[in-house]
Amino acid sequence: MTPRARAGFITLFLLPASALYALFVVIPVVQAFAFSLYRWRGISANRTFIGLENFQQLFNDPLVWRALSHNLLLFVGTSVVILTVSLALAHAVGAESALARFLRSVYLFPQVISLVVVAILWMFILNPSFGILNATLKAVGLKEWAITWLGNPYTALASIGVAHVWHALGFYIMLFAAALRTIPTDVMEAATLDGATGLVRLRYVTLPLLWAVLRIALVYMAIGTMNIFSLVFLMTQGGPDRATEVMLTYLYEQAFKHSEFGYATALAVVNFVLVMALSGAILTLFRHNPQEGRG
Amino acid sequence: MIRRAVVNLCLFLFALSVIVPLLWVLMTAFKTGHEIFTSPWGLPHTPQWENFVRAWEEAGIARYFLNSLIVTLATLAILLPIGAMAAYVFARYPFRGAKWLFGAFLGGMMFPLFLTIVPLFFLLARLGMLDTLHGLTLVYVAYSLPFTVFVLTGFFQTLPQEMLEAALIDGCGHARAFWKVMLPLAKPGIIVVGVFNAIGLWNEYPLALVIMTSDERRTLPLGIANLLMVEQYQSDWGALFAGLVIVMLPVLLVYWLFRDRIHETMIAGALKG
Repeated sequence: MTPRARAGFITLFLLPASALYALFVVIPVVQAFAFSLYRWRGISANRTFIGLENFQQLFNDPLVWRALSHNLLLFVGTSVVILTVSLALAHAVGAESALARFLRSVYLFPQVISLVVVAILWMFILNPSFGILNATLKAVGLKEWAITWLGNPYTALASIGVAHVWHALGFYIMLFAAALRTIPTDVMEAATLDGATGLVRLRYVTLPLLWAVLRIALVYMAIGTMNIFSLVFLMTQGGPDRATEVMLTYLYEQAFKHSEFGYATALAVVNFVLVMALSGAILTLFRHNPQEGRG
Repeated sequence: MIRRAVVNLCLFLFALSVIVPLLWVLMTAFKTGHEIFTSPWGLPHTPQWENFVRAWEEAGIARYFLNSLIVTLATLAILLPIGAMAAYVFARYPFRGAKWLFGAFLGGMMFPLFLTIVPLFFLLARLGMLDTLHGLTLVYVAYSLPFTVFVLTGFFQTLPQEMLEAALIDGCGHARAFWKVMLPLAKPGIIVVGVFNAIGLWNEYPLALVIMTSDERRTLPLGIANLLMVEQYQSDWGALFAGLVIVMLPVLLVYWLFRDRIHETMIAGALKG
């Protein structure tokens, strides 16, 4: 093929994908950073350049801080639960038995159904009049525990956290189980023969070998909870009384209910930067594997 | 021995926590409104197939189902060929700036959707594509490209070079060799990527929420979420439960058929990212 024909072939094959990607992804990303510098209300083309004023306003908006604190609470709370359960079960789930294979497939059910279904499913489970949670509590004599879970500011955020864990857990169990399978079995067998089981094995064998995967998993969990939207939007709309407001539901409200498009885009930029910073912090914090290369 | 028993018990309990809610939804979808309220745990006395009929016909699920089907299939029909073409070039035809362009595609997996949602909304408004199925389809294609190109590039790299050379010696042009020889060879990879994307598209909510506004063009997740909020259906819980079953059943079926390949792709994508 002549260089000319080759260049033509490459261009022709890359063009459709690149054009669509540039139009609908790259340009909006660039625009997002630009939009955040404008005051822009309503659909009109009426935009005023205000520099960093949106960011200043954001910094002084107590609801932004409140929303951010809910995102961080969800991150810490759900990742502790997810890590504990998935590390505890990874060995057993990763086994090559027919039962383990079956369970791995079942565990991913919540991951493959729509988040909309997950949200409605949990709203129904938690429903005070026909949900199975309160029905069970009443049946075992814990009547005073049967409360309006999503309508109570003290339990609403935790309830969303439970739904999030239910949705996400299977993926992390799979991830750790797969990572464990890449570890040569003789390492595990040697450790077991040396009497390392349970917590000892976890501390000195499993964790160090899984360290790289663990870092990535934590970053995924941070991204997942910082960008949580559908569950909150459907289950509580950020209520009651903003008790479950998160960054993206607040962004959605500013943009598509109050038409504060400039402010909402500034929020999007801040959220993006925060996710990046949090991911970077996690990667730095967990850079050194405690069992490797001391000194 | 005891430890093993405890671990197995945990495995079993977690499997139950996944299965029981799903079975509960399935069971409740067959109950009368009265039964739903009076015995949440009870079995339906007689299966109420009418719940499904009402959900399908009166609640508009049929319309939403069709919209979701159209958008999902149309997206795949555009995404898979153009994604495969780009991936093929990235895998086989090194050129100046290839790394940079490939990086730009992968970067899309890093940006959260909401960073672009406001500019995207206005872009679609200007193109007259807001609240249209083709607008949603093109957006879905664009946002599915990073993952698709990433996985297919890896797949094309594993195909034997000899096949391509044989085709070229036979007098095929490079484009023809791609369509006639390399693409059929890549079929297993294309199927996995297609299934993976299909599940994600079928389930997608935030983009559709912002782009689609009129009821008759709602996709299934939008439609069912709206049914929940609309007052008139709040009394018809049986139909709503039936609607949930209709939304999740196709996905669970497709997932079950392709589960092993889906697991591999999921893990590979997660660990390389």
